[in-house]
Amino acid sequence: MKITHKVYFSNAVLIALIVLISAFALHDLDQILTKFRFTVIADQLNASFLTMRLAEKNYFLYGDLDTLSEIDEMIGTATSSMEAVKADIIRAVGHDNYKKLNRKLVAYGHRVDETRQAAKEGVGLEGKRRTQMRLRLAGRHLKEFSENITEMERDRVGRIIAGSKTILFYSFLGVVFFALFFTYLIVNNIGLSLRKVVEFTQMISRGNYEKIAERYPNNEMGAVISAVNTMAEDLQNREKEILQSKRLASIGILVAGVAHELNNPLNNISMMAQTYVEVYENLQKEQRIEFMQRVEEETERLRIIIKNLLDFSRAKERHLVENKANNVVQKTIALVRNMLNISNIQLQLDLADDLPTIYVDEHQVQQVLVNITTNAIQAMGDTGVLFLRSHYISDVDEIEIEVRDTGSGIESKFLDHIFDPFFTTKEEGGTGLGLWVSYGIIKNHGGNLRVESSADDGTAFFITLPSCKSVKECCNGKS
Amino acid sequence: MASHNIMIIDDEKIVGDMARLSLEQEGYEVETFLDGRSALDRLEEKTFKVVITDLKMKGVDGLEVLRTVKKLYPETVVIMITAFANLDVAIEALRDDVHDFFPKPVKLKELKISIQRAMEKN
Repeated sequence: MKITHKVYFSNAVLIALIVLISAFALHDLDQILTKFRFTVIADQLNASFLTMRLAEKNYFLYGDLDTLSEIDEMIGTATSSMEAVKADIIRAVGHDNYKKLNRKLVAYGHRVDETRQAAKEGVGLEGKRRTQMRLRLAGRHLKEFSENITEMERDRVGRIIAGSKTILFYSFLGVVFFALFFTYLIVNNIGLSLRKVVEFTQMISRGNYEKIAERYPNNEMGAVISAVNTMAEDLQNREKEILQSKRLASIGILVAGVAHELNNPLNNISMMAQTYVEVYENLQKEQRIEFMQRVEEETERLRIIIKNLLDFSRAKERHLVENKANNVVQKTIALVRNMLNISNIQLQLDLADDLPTIYVDEHQVQQVLVNITTNAIQAMGDTGVLFLRSHYISDVDEIEIEVRDTGSGIESKFLDHIFDPFFTTKEEGGTGLGLWVSYGIIKNHGGNLRVESSADDGTAFFITLPSCKSVKECCNGKS
Repeated sequence: MASHNIMIIDDEKIVGDMARLSLEQEGYEVETFLDGRSALDRLEEKTFKVVITDLKMKGVDGLEVLRTVKKLYPETVVIMITAFANLDVAIEALRDDVHDFFPKPVKLKELKISIQRAMEKN
């Protein structure tokens, strides 16, 4: 169900509940009003019945026949007023009770007639007493019945009010419960989906473009997840395109660099050969030997450049083995130990225990480490501290090796170019290929090589490599 | 007019050394520099007929040398050599009135013919 539908549905349920409660309350109010109206009428009737009984008592005391006529009159008034509000009375106490009351009033009227008749005919004392008794009895029945139903209706009003109160209270609880329940359901639903989207986008920002695989709900969140999936796919394609164009640009830079780097020693050899021929006659033996030695030096320069280029191309043929990062670091230290010894540079190690293993070509990673540590040592000159640190970054499941020096740092304008082929800041002897080759090696291992540098803190290179766990082939079989 | 003196600027030391050996044999007076800055400083003290400069150098590069020389010493002829044979740079250099443009590896004979022509220019 879509979220909007859920919201509509919950609102509809709540509105229905409220309507139902209002209907109950209205119905109860209507009943109370009816009963109330009846009690007003009944009070009037009761009052007139009481007056009748007083008149009746007066008649018995003084024997005035006019009193009986007064009672007749009052019965007439009561009958007609009962007739006038018949509907109200019937609605309040029912048809039967109305009829009974009416009958009792009529019976009382008969008894009044009977008493008048007896008085006119002059019946004996016994007869007179009997009619008096019957009149009294009828009067009492009428008054008692009327008072009873009035009392009954008052009770009923009380019960209706109490009942309404209870119903309203529980209805209120019900509405609150439903409102909270629906809110919880919707919020929980949205929250869960949002959390998933957040996790997913974090994954994307780390460069993991896997889609949200599980079937997503057919609602707004589903639409969001589907949009994010599409975005991830587009981003992945875009990244591939950028990588491709970067690769092409890098080949361009490489070719131009190769041409320049090879042309210089070639030109030197060529010029020496031409000059040698020109000045041969004037040269001493030692000078001729020096010429050839310099030719040899230039060819050595060419050899180093070509070796580095081959290293880079060979970086693609890896022999991956499960290994310990600290193991590779220790082997690197053994190789650069001599350089550290002849300078005044101290080595500080901070290698984490129990690092997860990595799946690497040991020689290639060692080549990267030697390269970076050599740079660091050269950057510091005679004194300084070389820090080597390894640790595990659990949230991305990677091992990071940090190489930090206390040198003067790399100028910020050079930082963007240090991984470009043939880029070097060394006065002499730098081919500008070391970091470029290193970068290629680490990238080929699915890792990353980045640099931080400032004049105050020196330069730090961070090599990150995925742990063996996250490399599929690592667990299946070692190559 | 300082008649036959030549300045050579190239961060590759061998280029200067060899060119000097070869050109001095032809009777030219030759001074060599490894960077543009020190060469421009020397130009303030002494007039050269021909300046041969490498294009790509750290600090002051060949194009800057060319522009400065053409601005301050219009009589001086500039010949450019480069390992980085890029057409755009060549066009830019020609527009700035370079006398000649040699890609590395340089043929000394051709360079000498170019210098000869430069010397005869006035």
